[in-house]
Amino acid sequence: MQLWAIAANTYRENIRDRVLYSIVFFAVLVLCASLVMEEITIGDQDKVVRSVALGAIRAFGSVMSIFLGIGLVYKEIEKKTVYTIVSKPIARWVFIVGKYLGLMGVIVTMIALMAGLYILLMLTQQGPPAASVYASWWMLTVELGLLTAWAILFSSYSAPITAASFSIAVFVIGHLADDIWRFGLQAESEQVRQFAGVLYWFLPNLSVFNVHDLAVHHLPIPVEQLIGATGYGLGYTVVVLTLAVWVFSGRDFK
Amino acid sequence: MSPASSSPAEVVLRCEGLGKVYRSGFFRIPYVGLEDLSLDVRRGEIFGFIGPNGAGKTTTIKCLMGLQAATSGKAELLGKDHRDPESKRGVGFLPERPYFYEHLTAREFLHFYGSLFGLPKAVRAARIDELLARVQLERFADVPLRAYSKGMLQRAGVAQALINDPELLVLDEPMSGLDPMGRLLIRDLIFEERRRGRTVFFSSHILADVELICDRVAILVGGRLRGLGTVRELVGDRVKHVDIATRITNTDAALPGEVIRRDGDAVILRVGPDDADGAIDTLRAAGGSILSVTPAREHLESVLLDEVQRAAPINQKHLGVLA
Repeated sequence: MQLWAIAANTYRENIRDRVLYSIVFFAVLVLCASLVMEEITIGDQDKVVRSVALGAIRAFGSVMSIFLGIGLVYKEIEKKTVYTIVSKPIARWVFIVGKYLGLMGVIVTMIALMAGLYILLMLTQQGPPAASVYASWWMLTVELGLLTAWAILFSSYSAPITAASFSIAVFVIGHLADDIWRFGLQAESEQVRQFAGVLYWFLPNLSVFNVHDLAVHHLPIPVEQLIGATGYGLGYTVVVLTLAVWVFSGRDFK
Repeated sequence: MSPASSSPAEVVLRCEGLGKVYRSGFFRIPYVGLEDLSLDVRRGEIFGFIGPNGAGKTTTIKCLMGLQAATSGKAELLGKDHRDPESKRGVGFLPERPYFYEHLTAREFLHFYGSLFGLPKAVRAARIDELLARVQLERFADVPLRAYSKGMLQRAGVAQALINDPELLVLDEPMSGLDPMGRLLIRDLIFEERRRGRTVFFSSHILADVELICDRVAILVGGRLRGLGTVRELVGDRVKHVDIATRITNTDAALPGEVIRRDGDAVILRVGPDDADGAIDTLRAAGGSILSVTPAREHLESVLLDEVQRAAPINQKHLGVLA
């Protein structure tokens, strides 16, 4: 019940936040604007429209995840609202996990909203989306779940600007993980190879969730890839959230 | 100072050698926020916690409520280790200058805190109506907290502290920033809780309130407990001075003591506690009549000032911290 109460409060707080609506407004704008691409594109116009629209959902989902996640815990500490929560009979992990679930609720709602609009646009323009499009949204949700966990971890001990920088770094490095690995293999310096290896193994490999091209081309996504990426994402999320709980549990509120 | 003697069954809050050392800066320089605090708070009493800024009052409360980890000693709330979240189940807490979720209305806000205690919805709803009436916020129950004044927020804060019908109420500066009506409301609430057999532990800068409502008081200075007892025990029966109101027509008569007010033949004189009898005799001998004799007793404020100066003699101009 406590977990649910904190999650519901976090959901309500973010849903009533004007910042969210500005992000959603721009997302809707870009989704609608993707239709214009059809007019100005040569070649396979349908795929270009799908690519821009699915890319927009992905980009705005990531923006939401990072920018709502980085303030999630910090704001509570800064505004001292946390005082009246941790002084209640609740364990600190309940607070962190509750906040996480609440924010994930917001992110899933927003992805569903944007996906609904996408489906509507496609039904009027190109016909129903392929199954791989739905699978790509699932993968996006798992990826954003992991990214949000990182943002909450950073938010548990640092100010939003630092947390934002770290979260963006995780996002960028995470998407370049495969490239970093390949670069490391080709490097002549042993130190560079080791550094690339540490980055590859320590930071998340977000490219495993990237099935954008398959979804755009309406090609099937192998089930093993879906299951593997989901397991990897959920497992990694649990580890990062555990770290966030550990950091938050050791905090003094001054 | 040793804790007040009381049987364990009566004690609802106990600190034993509680201490907090902060470390700051690159070199982690230690700073003692609280040192070896031992005290017991008994069931059904109103316990005041006073001291100048930086004395360690809020540090103590934060350690007790799990907002900060004590670096030494131990504490119990309602017989349970204060580090156990379950020890807070019967405790209501109002932090100093509370901040709340501004996006919530007072009703939503209280539902939220009620659910943190696992109260069923129907119980919460009934309790919220009762509490909103008690803190006189019924008319604003469905207004978002962002539209509340400071005093209204403080009252909403008190309501959230009472949502679980706590056995022990811990209030950090509950009168801070309130107008006289707000202070009266909080005082009445504290009295009402005691009438219901609850225990109230609160810190305050407003010593007049502490003196008026507390059964026992602890004085904290520089992170150390400097006094503990009833107001009478701490202040004693010491008389600071005696004010004698007299009516005297003989304007040439030499008046004993200091004239603090003169209105025609009515005069108020202030004399030392040992000089009162002599002054009355002198006034009578000069043909004056005695209207009243009022001994002015010591107040907590002077006891606190004495303790502050004893702890670390300071310049008078620095006493501003006691405001």
